[in-house]
Amino acid sequence: MKLAMTYSYLKQDLDTIEKALNKTINAKNPVLREASVQLLQAGGKRLRPVFVLLSGKFGSFDIDKIKTVAVSLELIHMASLVHDDVIDEAELRRGKPTVKARWDNRIAMYTGDYIFARSLENLASLEIPKAHQILAKTMVDLCIGEMEQIKDKYNVKQNLRTYLRRIKRKTALLISTSCRLGAIATDAPIEYERALYRYGYYIGMSYQIIDDILDFTSSDKQLGKPAGSDLLQGNLTLPVLYAMENKDFYDKLRSLFEQKDTISQQDIIPFINHIKSSDVIERSLALSERYLEKAYESIRVLPETRAKQTLQDIATYIGKRKT
Amino acid sequence: MSIANVKMKEIKVELEEQLHHSYLKQFLQKPVIDEDKLLILISIIEHTNYSEIEKKNYVITTMLVQIALDTHDLVSQNSLKTDSDITRKKRQLTVLAGDYYSGLYYYLLSKLEDIPMIQTLASAIKEINEYKVSFYYKEFKSIHAFMESLKHLESLLILRVAQHMHQSDDSEFTGNWLLIRKLIREKNRYLDKGNSPIFDLITKGPGTHLQNNQIIYTVEKFIHKYTEHVEDTFSHLPMHLHTLKSYVQALTYDNLRKNIKVMEES
Repeated sequence: MKLAMTYSYLKQDLDTIEKALNKTINAKNPVLREASVQLLQAGGKRLRPVFVLLSGKFGSFDIDKIKTVAVSLELIHMASLVHDDVIDEAELRRGKPTVKARWDNRIAMYTGDYIFARSLENLASLEIPKAHQILAKTMVDLCIGEMEQIKDKYNVKQNLRTYLRRIKRKTALLISTSCRLGAIATDAPIEYERALYRYGYYIGMSYQIIDDILDFTSSDKQLGKPAGSDLLQGNLTLPVLYAMENKDFYDKLRSLFEQKDTISQQDIIPFINHIKSSDVIERSLALSERYLEKAYESIRVLPETRAKQTLQDIATYIGKRKT
Repeated sequence: MSIANVKMKEIKVELEEQLHHSYLKQFLQKPVIDEDKLLILISIIEHTNYSEIEKKNYVITTMLVQIALDTHDLVSQNSLKTDSDITRKKRQLTVLAGDYYSGLYYYLLSKLEDIPMIQTLASAIKEINEYKVSFYYKEFKSIHAFMESLKHLESLLILRVAQHMHQSDDSEFTGNWLLIRKLIREKNRYLDKGNSPIFDLITKGPGTHLQNNQIIYTVEKFIHKYTEHVEDTFSHLPMHLHTLKSYVQALTYDNLRKNIKVMEES
């Protein structure tokens, strides 16, 4: 089952949000407009708007308010992707040339800054100070998370706690903020807002762990990049952290990282094979599953509605996803 | 020492505290606080009826935006396969530092619940980036047209903040002065390091015919010309900008002296 099937009944609202997204990034400059539209048309799961929309169903639903919040969150996500491609020197995103590949780093910086500004300008039409405070804190934390990722690169002396804190900032926070802002925008009761925030956080953690697992278990074609890319770039994800409990693996990885400037795809193949043949994938999946259980648990307090069912379905999908 | 000067010192200290990040500090140069823009902002805001806290926060958040934009201008145009690990890391952190400073401005204003100012600064960032991309690709018909565009770019943020406060920012004076200062910085960079992003844009665009030393001479001519414009507008400046006026007068005299010297030498 495709993820979109779980919320196909929201199509009309999602189309409204999509139209608003297109309208919001209508830059006057042709290069900037093309770069932004290319990003938008590359699609993506639009997970953040979906979470805003579903969370908004637990308050006094108002599509105009929901649309504003959903557009801003998706734009922040998009802006961070454009800048991430400069950081990762990525040539392709979802099979298409990245902004930095098609133009250059400088245009990618301006495009990201432009989209980020449009996001805040859009949200500023909503006079809800609490929403701005939460989003602003999330944005600062996102940057700190990315800085930590760079700091921890090739560092074999990190532990599970470091990893969890990093993925919280990198992925989970923006999803939990999407859920929370959907609730805030529609004046949902505070206990629902808290429940949705926790749900988003646990879902985000699980989602990133699965992403990190797929980096090892998917084919190059499915990933759109060579398997093990995270490891090649020095990012130690959950499967690697578990694998490092094996002394031989740890020693070999440490000595590989001592020559970090010359590591090739070929060099990491034995490490990928070790990870795939040991129990670390299973253990990683088990941790992801624990987060999903917490996600289900956290929304128990919500009334039995179709939106709640969809949140549960999304959690189930995330646990089983293959791409 | 004038009130504006005292405030400038205080705000600089606070701004530096905001900008401090231990990990960034290890790899990146300290962000440059443009003192001209800082003084212009203080001079404009001092004349308003905002509370002292609001005044300070407006200056700090506007400067954070300026520094965020300037930081992203430092990201190299292209990434090369031959880039060393440290070059790569510095580029990555420069991207994130700019994002981080942008996040800080938003965070500070959100705590103050100042949504109109969030809107004003976001709108200015949008406009500046639109303008930067146009500037980057524009085929300028003359160096004069290039300079006029650069002038607009340099003063746009201050102009929008002044409008937000219903203040006349004396945009002609501000634009001319900030352009002079930008050109002097670029000239010094060119003389010290042998390269300057602005000189590159001129020589690849409207100044394609210029030889090595001619670019310096041409830029100095423009510094001279815009200095005259600044001097012409002195008498029209409102009284409350007197600190700014004396600061500019002192530097203008100094600049002119240095420029004439360089022009005579070349």
